[in-house]
Amino acid sequence: MTRWHPADPVAVPGSYGEPGLTEEFWAAAAEHVLVRPVCRACGSSFFPPLIACPHCVAQDWEYRRSAGRGTIYSCAVVHKAPSPEFETPYPLAIVDLDGEGWGLLTTIVDAPSPRIGDQVEVTWREAGDRVLPAFRPVSTR
Amino acid sequence: MSLSDIAVVGVGVTQQARRLERTSLQVSLDAAKLAVADAGLTFADLDGIAARWPGPGGTVFLPGSADWAGMLGVPVRWIGDSYPQGVPALLDAAAAISAGLCHTVLITGGQAGVLGGGRVASYTQPRNEFVEPFGAFTAAHFALVAQRHLRRFPHVRQGAAEIAATIRTIGSANPDAVLYDRGPFTAQTILDSSGVVDPFRLLDLCLASEGGAAIVVTTVERARDLRHRPVRVLGGGMEWIRQQYVDAVRYEQVWSIGADAAARAFGMAGLTPSDVDCAQVYDVNSFEVARQFEALGFCDVGEGTDFAASAGIGLDGKLPTCTDGGLMSFSHIGWGAPTLKIAEAVRQLRGTCGDRQVPGARVALAAGAGSGAQYYNLVLLGTD
Repeated sequence: MTRWHPADPVAVPGSYGEPGLTEEFWAAAAEHVLVRPVCRACGSSFFPPLIACPHCVAQDWEYRRSAGRGTIYSCAVVHKAPSPEFETPYPLAIVDLDGEGWGLLTTIVDAPSPRIGDQVEVTWREAGDRVLPAFRPVSTR
Repeated sequence: MSLSDIAVVGVGVTQQARRLERTSLQVSLDAAKLAVADAGLTFADLDGIAARWPGPGGTVFLPGSADWAGMLGVPVRWIGDSYPQGVPALLDAAAAISAGLCHTVLITGGQAGVLGGGRVASYTQPRNEFVEPFGAFTAAHFALVAQRHLRRFPHVRQGAAEIAATIRTIGSANPDAVLYDRGPFTAQTILDSSGVVDPFRLLDLCLASEGGAAIVVTTVERARDLRHRPVRVLGGGMEWIRQQYVDAVRYEQVWSIGADAAARAFGMAGLTPSDVDCAQVYDVNSFEVARQFEALGFCDVGEGTDFAASAGIGLDGKLPTCTDGGLMSFSHIGWGAPTLKIAEAVRQLRGTCGDRQVPGARVALAAGAGSGAQYYNLVLLGTD
């Protein structure tokens, strides 16, 4: 596991959207499993979790496991952090999960200057009592 | 009545500074007093207010939430209370007045006593489980958009620095600007400033400062009896794609945000971009200024910086832009900042801007928010 710095801000489950939407995401993350909402009506993936699928507005979806392989959609190295908890520089990124139709805001680790289009895979880092998804370059060995 | 029967008749801009020993509510009230006096009115003449209001049961929505009717002692017929700022507040008020719900509306807001110690206003960095732990913040969302644009159009980096230098140099000459007398700036000054989040340097980005801004809106008919030449609402448009600063922002969705709103606004006004005498675009960063020239129809995608260079966006250019120094040098006061854009547009159209006056300005554009915010709005204002 990639170690992050100890004073990382903690992700608070339930701080986005309706209560009960995100606990399963974080429980899976604690097991190093990346999941995302998938609509049972239209099959679309989406993120962040909402009460209804943003593609068909069905209120019927479930978390399904992601393969965790993705491509950097955009990436920007942060040199001046919004709060002192973050050790700079760090690459903030949007990663699109390959073939799954969803993406998320995340950070890139083990790559000092990641580029748009780079292939990455999910890894996990501890932040307080929570485990956060991050992405690292796909190992070519 | 239609939009063009509505006019801005009062503007109030308080002192703007890095930090003020005031509260958001105090500066919002200060600005309100200035705007009402500027119009030659009293609070008793108002019958509509767009400002932050308490919710049910007295719930307080910070910053600057208050029982404005109670505070001013004016029972009103209309309030705009969702997110009252700049263009949306003006267009909502104009619609309400056109519909006969009220006749004279105060729009006010600002921030003070909320910054300090390197803090940013809380709404720019939501305490959200999918944002906060990754170290995202307002400028970073815009950066994720700019990075994709830069990959398509690498020359934009230099051109954006030239835009920032021009706007900051205008601000340096404005004694009311927070960054008065800090210039002149060159593109190299911008590029040599410290890095914040790629591709932005510190001087590519707007200020975070404090102060208040307010305007008063009424019918053109009532405006004829007031102090200043009325400034008409000629056209306007708004677009929202998603909430701000939470969802991963998609360059392809947001780079041209505002294009549809602009087409509608120009259509409503019977004008084209070449009719605009000054552009108070929303300069949260230098790339956004170029982006708006594209979305607003001044040029094609990828040409925003070239347009700025060839047309000229300084006070002596063909399209003087951010003529008070903008959010980069004049002030950025959070949700009050969009109203600053309208205030400057109105002053230019009145011809009262002194050294920074655009000679003969008849049509002005004012705008709010941008690509990383996932919403955008603009208004075209004019004098007869």
